[in-house]
Amino acid sequence: MARFAFKGGVHIPNPYPVRKSEIKQVPPPEQVVLLLQQRVGGEAKPCVKLGDRVLTGQIIAQTTGKFPTNVHASISGVISAIEKRPIPHPSGIDAMCMVIDSDGKDEWIEIEKCDKEFLNCTPDKVIQRIREAGIVGMGGAGFPTHAKITNAQGAHTLIINATECEPGIMCDDSLMQEYPREIIRGIEVLMHACGAKKVIVAIEDDKPEALNSLLMYNFNNRISIEQIPTKYTSGAEKLLIKALLGIEIQSGAYASDHGILCQNVGTVKAIYDAVIDNKPLISRVVTVTGSAVKSPRNYEARLGTSFAQVVESSEPNNQAHHIRMGGMMMGVDIPNAQYSICKITNCIFVNNKKPQPTVKECIRCSACAPVCPVNLLPQQLYWHSKSENIEKALEYNLTDCIECGCCNYVCPSNIPLSEYFSFAKALERKLTREEQRIDRSRERFEFREYRLERNKKERTEMMAAKKKALKEKMAKDKEKDQEQKDKIAQAMARVEQAKEDKNNA
Amino acid sequence: MIESVVIFSILTLALGLVLGYAAIRFKVEGNPLVDQIDAILPQTQCGQCDFPGCRPYAQALAKGEAQINQCPPGGQEGADALAELLDVESLELNAEHGETKPGHVVYVDEKLCIGCTLCIQACPVDAFVGSSKVMTTVIAKECTGCDLCIPVCPVDCIYVKELTPTLGTYVPSLGEIAHG
Amino acid sequence: MHSTGLNTNQIMRQVIYALVLGVGASYVFFGWGVVLQIMLGVISVVVVESVFVRLRGRNVMDSISDGSAILTAILLAISIPAIAPWWVVVVGVAFAIIFGKQLYGGLGNNPFNPAMLGYAFLLISYPLQMTTWPVDFLSFNQAVEVVFNLLSFDGLSGATRLDDVKTSLSLGNELASLQVHSSSQAWINAGFLFGGIYLLARKIIFWHIPVAFILGIVLMASLISVFDSQQHLPIHNHLMLGGTMLGAFFIATDPVSASTTPRGRLIYGFLIGVLVVIIRAYGGYPDGVAFAVLLMNMTVPLIDYYTQPKAFGRS
Repeated sequence: MARFAFKGGVHIPNPYPVRKSEIKQVPPPEQVVLLLQQRVGGEAKPCVKLGDRVLTGQIIAQTTGKFPTNVHASISGVISAIEKRPIPHPSGIDAMCMVIDSDGKDEWIEIEKCDKEFLNCTPDKVIQRIREAGIVGMGGAGFPTHAKITNAQGAHTLIINATECEPGIMCDDSLMQEYPREIIRGIEVLMHACGAKKVIVAIEDDKPEALNSLLMYNFNNRISIEQIPTKYTSGAEKLLIKALLGIEIQSGAYASDHGILCQNVGTVKAIYDAVIDNKPLISRVVTVTGSAVKSPRNYEARLGTSFAQVVESSEPNNQAHHIRMGGMMMGVDIPNAQYSICKITNCIFVNNKKPQPTVKECIRCSACAPVCPVNLLPQQLYWHSKSENIEKALEYNLTDCIECGCCNYVCPSNIPLSEYFSFAKALERKLTREEQRIDRSRERFEFREYRLERNKKERTEMMAAKKKALKEKMAKDKEKDQEQKDKIAQAMARVEQAKEDKNNA
Repeated sequence: MIESVVIFSILTLALGLVLGYAAIRFKVEGNPLVDQIDAILPQTQCGQCDFPGCRPYAQALAKGEAQINQCPPGGQEGADALAELLDVESLELNAEHGETKPGHVVYVDEKLCIGCTLCIQACPVDAFVGSSKVMTTVIAKECTGCDLCIPVCPVDCIYVKELTPTLGTYVPSLGEIAHG
Repeated sequence: MHSTGLNTNQIMRQVIYALVLGVGASYVFFGWGVVLQIMLGVISVVVVESVFVRLRGRNVMDSISDGSAILTAILLAISIPAIAPWWVVVVGVAFAIIFGKQLYGGLGNNPFNPAMLGYAFLLISYPLQMTTWPVDFLSFNQAVEVVFNLLSFDGLSGATRLDDVKTSLSLGNELASLQVHSSSQAWINAGFLFGGIYLLARKIIFWHIPVAFILGIVLMASLISVFDSQQHLPIHNHLMLGGTMLGAFFIATDPVSASTTPRGRLIYGFLIGVLVVIIRAYGGYPDGVAFAVLLMNMTVPLIDYYTQPKAFGRS
């Protein structure tokens, strides 16, 4: 058992347990809509054109920048569209997607027979494989894995986050039960890549089957599999590190600063696929659950498969649905099932539509403060966010809020507190951007004024100098003229004199 | 009776000295008023206020030679903020100076540009890149949306592009959160 | 997703239920006057709250159904003498709701405890009516007649025990010669104590404020008795007389006007206890709960600011 704990968090029982943990395979669909917008790195630029035929596993887009991420085709077929499509985001703003119409063959690109002895490859080569495979954090963060490993080179401890990030999600549980051997191997690959000497796999104590499954296949004495108490937000990286090692990572710092690398167990399985089988990331495990589906299950589906297709097999009922991508605490509400699976879709909740509970005023009961895992004062942040007083909200550590929703969960007035905090954070970013833009405009304006003044001054000086030179030249010319005249006058005088002399003689 | 007069006079003197000392010793170095006003103005440098830039307008406001409602890009919020700073009644934006347009930048239709450089000279923040007889373009990040370049272009090739929220700049609506 | 705990309306209702024991004890000793005051209070609060919520353009049913106004009315009604004229509770409730709650923006926005604000207003404006308590059980008819001014109340009334003791002490009588124990007040306080324990058990209030409050009283009373023992009340009397238990569990714990951080609550409760004893011993009023609470309400923003807990990752 973990020796430490983090303060706060709530105990939420799994509302819709999955009865069978086996992962059902969803067949490759007829059309996939692949999201080009990545969590980090912005929009991936397509490297194929409309109408091109692509093979499964072929790279079709890449982000540029310091840590490029690849997007691969998840089925073989023809690129039928590169356009903006709706994505599961609270703003409802569309993002660039690439649509592939399947040719039914699911033809893979040539997979070079790779070195199964990854220990013979350098860590750099392993990281390169991970990068080429387009692996990002599968727990929902979506951060490019190769970047995280590169930053954590020389780490002493590798933590495998096998806690389900939210109650109701069971994809990691099923992965551990079905692919324990691959996961242990994947962990060993990661160990080699980052140089860690010690591994801790953290599993919640309500998942004994997953624990036993991993224990059965673990023969590496540097990997220790530990149970931690089941509590929501134990899946958050910094809080997990606190619970396992007692280290509290400072606000703004990273785990890599302390020599710790933390990876989700789904990412580890993807690393195994990439390094050992040289298969890029083109599918993932998704939990489908909720009050409106008859049989909650885990599915493995190709990226880009529509939600509707994945949810179908769980037999949703005919009532009005409230659909959510992600968990019930931090997920995104979506209006219908016409969205597609992307790399970070870990769960689809399909619930019967229920009337929203009425929101009452905050009575300052402070039930929210003890459950905040980051030890903030949600009631104070609420008052300041509501009145858009961002300065005061920052004083109460607004930026440390992880938007977990524990405060919403316990609020007796049903106030959507974490939504206010998301709003306040977005507003703070906007105000900072505005301030920087205004400062820049002022600077440029002032420089332009200065530049025009300087030009004017230079011109005046130049004109004055020219004038002076001209005057001097004129004076000189005049002098020369005068000299000439004098000479001529003298000559004339001499001539006159000579004439006179002649006359006189 | 005489004692109370004496006592109170001494008290007054003492307190007066204390306050005077405090006023000098603990004096807060504030921003000059012009800087404070300039910090509120949107720095569009468009001249719609009838002054050649935001700073001249700020200087005029500080001297009391201008009204607070002459800045359309600042919007009504800007006018209200100025009213609060200068401790005067807030006024409605004066429509004679123009109307508040949504946030936008301009861009050049490169096919039509003839390289006359009139726009480069007109831009108050030097957001154009170009030269004589060479195609000109706008650095969108630096454009303040003042629109001073649009009327001077002889081939009318400068257009307005409204700024829409992107995934990175989206701010949720407070009203929506409050009412579910 | 939401926890299955109580929502705000249910919380207010539970607090009202927890008052039952103490109110019952009041009835046993003071008679039907108590019931009449409560009924008058509740009716006036519904009327006043409806009018003002409508004026503010909000939904009246939502506001009344959350029970906070009714709670305020009941707390005020049991704090004033059972034979007070009918207009006392009506005016008090109106003042409490209008100036103590609605003008600040309704539930959740008031810095002062509305019931105590109303009580303080009544105490200062109508000192005679507010300090004349019944000495015996009043029947229903008697109560109606007195409350609606149909009968003069001289023969039925007297001051509270605390008041008596204070006047006696100030006249120079020694403490030992007074029969300080008053079973009626003790029983009423006991009723509220048990109600408070119920609220603690159901986690509707946190232990910080009641415990700190009682500790404050005990400490301050001990301090005073060390320096001035002949003049002032022993500790157990402080705890069982007057509005102590009501204050500890129902009034000081009003979440809207109290401190919100755990350490802040301890300081807040403790200082209220200290102030109560000081006002009782040296102040001009027999009971100090209302003023102590109002004074500490003013300091809540300061206390909250300086008792913020350390956030994760900020040391």
